[in-house]
Amino acid sequence: MISQAVLGEWYPVAMAALVDAAGRRTLLLGQEIRVFRDAGRIRVTADAGDLAVTERFGHVWACPGTPARALFTIPEADHPGRRLVDCGVVRVKCSPLRAVENFLDIAHFPFVHTDILGAEPHTEVNRYDVKIREEVDEVWATKVHFYQPQAAKSAEGGIVTEYMYRVPAPTASVLYKTCPAMPGEWDVIAIFVQPLTEELCDVWPWMALYDDVTPQAELIAFQQMIFLQDRSILENQIPRLLPLDPGMESPTQADLTSVAYRRWLKRRGLTYGAQMVAA
Amino acid sequence: MTRAWVANGLSRDLPAGVVMHGAWHGQDLAIWRSASGQIAAWKDRCQHRGMRLSHGFVRGETLSCIYHGWVYGTSGACGRIPAHPGLVPPSAIRAEAFACCEKDGVIWVAPAGTEGDVPDLAGLHPVRSLTVEAAGIEAPGLTGMEILQGSVMIAGQTVALGLVLQSLAAGRTAVHALCGGGGDVVAVSRWLEDLRRRLERGVAA
Amino acid sequence: MILYDYVLSASCYKVRLMAALLGVRLDHVAVDFHPGREHRGLAFRALNPAGTIPVLVDGDLVLTESTAMLVYLAHGTAWMGGDTAVAQAQVQGWLAFAARLGASLGMARLHDMLLYAADIAAVRRDGVACLRQMEAHLVERRFAGAIWLVGDGPSIADIACFPSVMLAPDGGVSLDDYPSVRLWTRAVRSLAGFIEMPGIHRLHELKPAPEAV
Repeated sequence: MISQAVLGEWYPVAMAALVDAAGRRTLLLGQEIRVFRDAGRIRVTADAGDLAVTERFGHVWACPGTPARALFTIPEADHPGRRLVDCGVVRVKCSPLRAVENFLDIAHFPFVHTDILGAEPHTEVNRYDVKIREEVDEVWATKVHFYQPQAAKSAEGGIVTEYMYRVPAPTASVLYKTCPAMPGEWDVIAIFVQPLTEELCDVWPWMALYDDVTPQAELIAFQQMIFLQDRSILENQIPRLLPLDPGMESPTQADLTSVAYRRWLKRRGLTYGAQMVAA
Repeated sequence: MTRAWVANGLSRDLPAGVVMHGAWHGQDLAIWRSASGQIAAWKDRCQHRGMRLSHGFVRGETLSCIYHGWVYGTSGACGRIPAHPGLVPPSAIRAEAFACCEKDGVIWVAPAGTEGDVPDLAGLHPVRSLTVEAAGIEAPGLTGMEILQGSVMIAGQTVALGLVLQSLAAGRTAVHALCGGGGDVVAVSRWLEDLRRRLERGVAA
Repeated sequence: MILYDYVLSASCYKVRLMAALLGVRLDHVAVDFHPGREHRGLAFRALNPAGTIPVLVDGDLVLTESTAMLVYLAHGTAWMGGDTAVAQAQVQGWLAFAARLGASLGMARLHDMLLYAADIAAVRRDGVACLRQMEAHLVERRFAGAIWLVGDGPSIADIACFPSVMLAPDGGVSLDDYPSVRLWTRAVRSLAGFIEMPGIHRLHELKPAPEAV
């Protein structure tokens, strides 16, 4: 039985530009759905009828129940001068929540994204700020600093990059990072995760960057490279479900974002893809 | 009753500085050998974020998790968390160790504290491991016993053979094969390939 | 030399890896294979009518098969695997075998990762058959004191086969059942100049444990 809280959320189900009349047959929360274009309008249908649909950030979002609130906003998506980049879909055999949690983690950079996002011996994670912003009901981590040997496609040499992480929905996360091309601005990199089942997800990375130079294919390649380095990790975590039982795993100070994310999921009953007690 | 000691491959397939996946009655294990040659078998799970330790890497006398680089010593205790280099990890953070030993070139694992000896295969030498996908090992010739020993005619020679069976899942069995001194290991390896084809065809028929 | 390249392609990686091991510099042109399907577009078809990647361009020469690129890059070096009839025939055998790996393990990976249509049970079964064949060969090589597919050193045969094998888990095919294949993949990853690709981790143990900073 899937809770109303889970059913009332918005989930990505397609890249809008790729939806045609034939459409895409896929799963959402274990239920078969169809995403297709009908007289110019995108529809998402299940056996029981049409789902609520909205198009935003290059993607089609559907709500399987009654939307509890409007889809979150990413103000940077409307900033003039930013390039919006749809990066396509990657399927991962893991809990959708594990995919988000991994995205919030920086301590793995030296070992999984070696020489790109991190490198030994620069492994230390200093204290940063984490809070649940009650007014918007989102998890935020700020003042996150980490040494990066190659901060982005356009970056040469190592720098200390600053990040902000934001979880505005249970299966979406938005990352703001220092923009090498435009000091004072943030590059925006998001992952939108479609929960196919509790242990299988489609991940749609998306970016809003200040970069007029790099060819689109290179920007996509960089993002796919990073995410695909994570895939073999995500498919080999035991259990597949994200454990919300505090005894199951051992977070440290570096994991404060994930601790807040888990707490926030638990508090809101957003436990699709989670394991409440140790099996 | 489940057998305590389960064969998990051949020593020759786990050189120093290498970690591999193993299993004890469905429990996933990471089995690794340190630079000095010490072997250990642990539950295949880093306590931090559940990552399989069998994907990790061996440096000297330690095994590190591939995800965040947590470093575990041969005792199983976590000695270093790279995200917090100044921190001495709490003693509660440790890998869950199984008993692990080697005899006659075969690696055996059992729950920690298991008493009793592993089977004796003296006089036989390790050849290779291979997995048979047959519902199967109940097939004629392999009758569910855990070790089959006997003499077989291979390429015109009588060869003493020991087949140590490791049940991996329903219909999946690893066969760790040994043969007597003087046996032609290439011929034995090819004979094993042929045996597997026969067993698997038997199931398909 | 220009390589029309895609970061997630096992075949493109073959060429990147060979060039890195040889110390040959390539210029890269990223192709938006996914999601853009640029390789199926008219502009790309003008370069390679087959609409496949990688493509290697050197002056007037345009190569569209990754194994041919390995030969071109490695010509005149020990990476060709030796010049006896037996060695050359064996190398050719493994280059052809690499195509079987791509059609089986490679297709399983595209299915599981990028949602390609495939008979997944069939391609995985074919992939397991390939891995068993490699394992049997490498077992015999080890009995002879060798580790590489052909001869005493690494060759284009190893590089042609390595990516699809190492990426097998991406397509839901485990390498746990093949100890000799596993040791061979370690040997490849230990080569001086080795580079990784997403899904293939480097051997961190090749670098000593760092002092804390």
